[in-house]
Amino acid sequence: MNQPLGLGQKRGGLLAGQPLPRHLQRGLLATLAAAGIWLAALGIDAEMALFWGYGLAFGFVLQRSRLCFASAFRDIFLLQHGRTLKALLAGLAVATVGFGLVMSKQIPNPTLGFLPPTANVLPIGVHLVLGGLIFGFGMVVAGGCVSGSVYRMGEGYVASWVSFGGILLGLLGTAYTWNWWWDFSIAEGPRIWLPTYLGHGGALGLTLLALLGTYLAVVWWESRSGIVIPESPFVGREGPDFRTRLGDNLRQLFVHGWPVVTGGLVLGALNVMLFYTAHPWGFTGELSRWMLGLSNALGFGPGTLQGAADLPGCTLEVGGEQGLLHHMLFLVWGMVMGSFVGALFAGEFKLRRPRQPRRYWQAAGGGLLMGVGATLAMGCTIGAFFSAIPSLALNGWVFALCLTAGAWLGVQLIQRYE
Amino acid sequence: MSLKQLDVRGEICPYPMMKTVQALKKLTPADAGLEVTTDHAPALETIPTQAARLGYTAVIEETGTPEWKIRLTRQSS
Repeated sequence: MNQPLGLGQKRGGLLAGQPLPRHLQRGLLATLAAAGIWLAALGIDAEMALFWGYGLAFGFVLQRSRLCFASAFRDIFLLQHGRTLKALLAGLAVATVGFGLVMSKQIPNPTLGFLPPTANVLPIGVHLVLGGLIFGFGMVVAGGCVSGSVYRMGEGYVASWVSFGGILLGLLGTAYTWNWWWDFSIAEGPRIWLPTYLGHGGALGLTLLALLGTYLAVVWWESRSGIVIPESPFVGREGPDFRTRLGDNLRQLFVHGWPVVTGGLVLGALNVMLFYTAHPWGFTGELSRWMLGLSNALGFGPGTLQGAADLPGCTLEVGGEQGLLHHMLFLVWGMVMGSFVGALFAGEFKLRRPRQPRRYWQAAGGGLLMGVGATLAMGCTIGAFFSAIPSLALNGWVFALCLTAGAWLGVQLIQRYE
Repeated sequence: MSLKQLDVRGEICPYPMMKTVQALKKLTPADAGLEVTTDHAPALETIPTQAARLGYTAVIEETGTPEWKIRLTRQSS
């Protein structure tokens, strides 16, 4: 009955003279293609190959743990459970410790007022509040945030490709208003890095305490809803021999969905590695670079953006001299590829087309709003939240609150109009 | 007794779960339960959770394809 899945069985299948299951053949083929692109990138530049590898890892982990940042915030209201949000909090705690260590090397004496050059310490102001609200609303309407759309693109969700197009257009459209926002709010916005006031240890301690406090609040919120269902456990074949054991382990890794908290923890660790390599995880800046580079090259772009080049994180990037080939290009498409590989091995890849035309409008509109929000907040759920809170930056918490409020608004809408 | 069928394939998040909840609420005492066909993996967690709140137990059938069948039947009280 049960088709053997997983690499362990594959060898047995070969030895027994049976062909590989088709989804495994495809998975291996996609892995070869990913390795080929890695080699090609290595031929151009070692950094591009490295970021392709990071992208593959992020995409694979997102796909395997089905970790959706949008649902973390949405399900607090929609389902009154916070399993995904708690997973993010665990990942944030890991990243906070790692980021704290890296930043303490970058800026040994934080009280002098210097900011770590690459950490996501961003201006706080009306733009950030509005950006969070709009982004949170948009991600619920679209059914996934930017990272969620990117990994579902690799799983074959057609609506996520539509969302992605909406995000690109939203980034471009809002870029025309950037200079106005700069004068109105961004330029004067304080960039508050907690170690400036509390020292490294104090800022780290306070952030971990705040994460713990949020965790307890989520548990309390869940406890009010009554019933809580345990995660569906993995059931293996449970044979004692080596091959069955190996097969079970591989199935657990490649076929069965990971517990979402595993995904959160691994993403937190990967984010530390990426920060140590170059800068924190985030990619809406790169998406804007494609759109602004293209529109400027064609002569209808927004031109110079005041102050944007001096801000870290996922602030709009004009691009230009470097052209399309940039290490971040490899990170973004590496995520799509990593998710694609994960979905193939799991036998979960499928072109999924919504039947109601309205869903495409929702995906496009939600995406557009996310593009607007990500421009104003200088990042998405990754850059302005998952990489900002570990940067010990106050803007991460402000964005998180506004994101939550925006998600609540989105839930009100989708519950009323299906 | 056969189960009522609900096909939510192709739907984007979170509609597979929301449509299932609606369908469960519309079941009459004559219906034994609901069988949901979905291709959205996150629904494998959200649908059993929400169904349990309405008093249904879930059994997930893996079909070996990117589609799953979730059988929801009333908990015997």
